[in-house]
Amino acid sequence: MPRRVGGTTIELDTVEFLLQQGWQSLKRNGLMALAAICNIAVAFAVLSAFVLLAWNLEHMARKQTESAVITVELTSDAIPADVEAAINRDLRVKRTEFLSRDEALNRLAERMGYDKEALKLVGNPLPDMFIVWPNNPDDIPALAEDIKKIKGVSKDKDGVRYGGQVTKKLLVVARGVKIAAAVLTILLGSATLLIVGATIGLTIYARRREIRIMQLVGATNWFIRVPFLIEGMLQGMAGAALAAVLVLVGYYHVCRYTAENLAFIDFVYSPEMVALFAAGTILAGIVFGAIGAMLAVRRYLKIV
Amino acid sequence: MIHLQGVSVVYPDGTTALDKVDLSIERGEFVFITGPSGSGKTTLLQLIYREMVPTEGKVLVDGQDVAKLPAWRVPLLRRKVGVVFQDFRLLPNQTVWENVRFALDVVGASRREKHRKVPIALELVGLADKANSYPDNLSGGEKQRVCIARALVNSPMALLADEPTGNLDPEISLELTELLANIAETGTTVVMATHDKMIVDKMQRRVVTLLHGAVVRDAKEGGGYHDRA
Repeated sequence: MPRRVGGTTIELDTVEFLLQQGWQSLKRNGLMALAAICNIAVAFAVLSAFVLLAWNLEHMARKQTESAVITVELTSDAIPADVEAAINRDLRVKRTEFLSRDEALNRLAERMGYDKEALKLVGNPLPDMFIVWPNNPDDIPALAEDIKKIKGVSKDKDGVRYGGQVTKKLLVVARGVKIAAAVLTILLGSATLLIVGATIGLTIYARRREIRIMQLVGATNWFIRVPFLIEGMLQGMAGAALAAVLVLVGYYHVCRYTAENLAFIDFVYSPEMVALFAAGTILAGIVFGAIGAMLAVRRYLKIV
Repeated sequence: MIHLQGVSVVYPDGTTALDKVDLSIERGEFVFITGPSGSGKTTLLQLIYREMVPTEGKVLVDGQDVAKLPAWRVPLLRRKVGVVFQDFRLLPNQTVWENVRFALDVVGASRREKHRKVPIALELVGLADKANSYPDNLSGGEKQRVCIARALVNSPMALLADEPTGNLDPEISLELTELLANIAETGTTVVMATHDKMIVDKMQRRVVTLLHGAVVRDAKEGGGYHDRA
């Protein structure tokens, strides 16, 4: 069934012709294309490894964040409702939970495996307390300082405490990795565009005679460009697929090693994650390949 | 069909390639453009298929001012105007059939259309039996016939030939020119740039002579290479 594209009726034969031209282009400059694919693979391997690293650090930070809370001990004369209201007035607070001294003792007994009744006999040294969840774990230190100032909150050294230091560090590292990944994306992305562009430029040079004839017999610009776009996309796809395979194989071994030897490190690994990562990498390869080819075509077709 | 009105072409270095050329060529006409090397023959043809635009004046092809055509419509013009060159410009790794079909491939013709039109074009130029040959196995005259078939396969309104006999011996040159004249008989306008005196004298067709970019003679009723207007 013919379709209308750019004012021209397109037959299925034409689509076949264009795909064939793209594939032939790739074959004609076989070695150069292979070099481009390998270069793209290296660039994408580094890039996607960084993305994986950032992804995992985020994951770890998120898990830490979920457990990042501030424990607020109250003085014996405090009125819990007043303290709770004061804490909740702060917009950085997500929610609070009151823990009476009895309940706190029970939880402690449960956690330590002590007998609750036996523990009561020795007396309950614990005060009433609030558990405070912040909206943003980054705010924990400042929020803790402010909570300390509330009337009824224990002024002891450990009266207001939080275990968010690890989270904070993880988030700092994750942010650093994300910035590095962004910088790398720009650098390696540009390199990929240049590599694809140079290869397509060579193909255009090799096919200049054919292109010239195409122009003379009335081929539209898009018709001349499409095979090169296909070539660029194929290069990008092949390079990125190679990178995805390399990185995923390496990642699988890292995950297996850590699961066996460093169980406290929790890497993201699931069939969905593998599929998403591979699809994302390959899609990025295709997009970069297409952009590189487009830039080359715009630049070199003028001088054919 | 083709009208040039006060057309001048001046290159950036100041060289005048064409100087206030006025020329009208009607549908089905066969016209020689003659003149010494550098007289502006090729430039004149290039203006018609919008390889370049005039510095001044208008070039009308089938009523359209080609200089004003947006870039995306230039390919559509070139489907109406076939071009043949002295250096053939064939694809050496493709057969005669494929070379001719190529012109249909790039305009998105259907398979059925290609199977119908390619044999007709090859028959017209007398190369039906060479369809499976490669250009390297053809004589110069045969190569030029393939080029003509490729230019004709899209049924253009005009066929421009830039020194098509430049690489051919006299006998073959005459045969080829007669073929172009026959094509003109079918209603396709043929404009042939040449400085081959023998052919022009023999054919006695309309001759437009250029000198230093200006039309110095237009023998509308036909004439020889050096006849006076």
